[in-house]
Amino acid sequence: MNPSVGDIMTGPPVTVGPEESVARAAALMERERVGGLPVVEDGRLVGIIISRDVRRAHPNRLVADVMTGEVVSVPPGTTLWEARELLERRGIERLVVVDDAGAPVGVVTKAALLAELSKHVDALTGLPGASHLRCEAARLLEEGREISVIFLDLDNFGAIDKELGHARGDEVLRVVARVLRDAVGEGEGLLARYGGDEFAVVTDRPREEAKRLAERLIRALAEAEWPAGLKVTASAGVAGGRRTGGRDQGTAAETVANLVNMASLASTAAKRAGAGVLVADQVSLCVASA
Amino acid sequence: MEAAAGAAGTRKAELQIRFSEFEIPPMQDVLLVGRRAPIGPEAARRMVDAVCPDQYEIITLDHPVFEAAVIRRPLLRLVPVEKLVAVLIEEVGPLAAEDMVVKAQVKAVVQVTREVEL
Repeated sequence: MNPSVGDIMTGPPVTVGPEESVARAAALMERERVGGLPVVEDGRLVGIIISRDVRRAHPNRLVADVMTGEVVSVPPGTTLWEARELLERRGIERLVVVDDAGAPVGVVTKAALLAELSKHVDALTGLPGASHLRCEAARLLEEGREISVIFLDLDNFGAIDKELGHARGDEVLRVVARVLRDAVGEGEGLLARYGGDEFAVVTDRPREEAKRLAERLIRALAEAEWPAGLKVTASAGVAGGRRTGGRDQGTAAETVANLVNMASLASTAAKRAGAGVLVADQVSLCVASA
Repeated sequence: MEAAAGAAGTRKAELQIRFSEFEIPPMQDVLLVGRRAPIGPEAARRMVDAVCPDQYEIITLDHPVFEAAVIRRPLLRLVPVEKLVAVLIEEVGPLAAEDMVVKAQVKAVVQVTREVEL
């Protein structure tokens, strides 16, 4: 289940009517300690009034004369990353969450959203975490794009941790993240630290391109400079990028889980075989139409 | 006894009453609504719709001082809206402020001179 605005919204929101006064809206904002109020008429969201509007306007004015009529609203299922993209693109500080009937059911502020998103960033490497990768993969699938998942597993990382200590291990992981980040081109895919010594990339490139990207990542790690004279290598598995089944079964999330699993198993097989990169065969992309 | 009454004090209220007829419509021909006026265009629209429905047009303005003009519709049949608004703003502009609602009486007279063959 992808983290969504419905998980973090505050609600039900305190609202104000368009025929109420700005003074009333200001009093409500102060009482509720909020920076904005959805404006609701006949149960439907018709605008939003924020503290800046209130400061600029005469208190006698109608809320209808001061509010922003074009409210950016989202359904509760909107992912945190979609919500952030929307906030940044529109240059706004809050989103009103509405139900199917257009009635406001909550509010998400930028501050709350960023605080929640920080939980999905790996603190050690600064890379997105697994949840972000899964969410991005599901989004691409739901947009009707084919995806490939590259799963990278460091070779013998356990030995580094055991023999050189966790601090050195953490240092290695930070270097791995930097090397991989530099190797994945702009717009080529989303790189994430999947967990432990596992990294993953989701890309909308076809399988052959994904395989070449995986080989490039493996090569970049092999050629990188490592602390304490270490030699760090990785094995990779690639899955997806070639639709072999219909899109009539399962959800995008299930398809993503399936792809990650196959790529992970392929990386394990590559490690055993000392093959560098292996591609998972017989990949079936099955996702329910939205 | 008088001293006691004086100490207790007396309070009287004096009423001054003026009657006059409430003008319908109360806003004459044109209202120019300042950007920080106590009422905005939506309030003006609701007011005129309630007091004199279908008789006024609300025009949103792209102007630093005024954000809307409320204009009696018959005037707009005689003068195009953009010309009327331009003249009004030009004339009232130097006197007006953002927090004002300015009402204006406008009389439009169309003069026609034609020559006909005799």
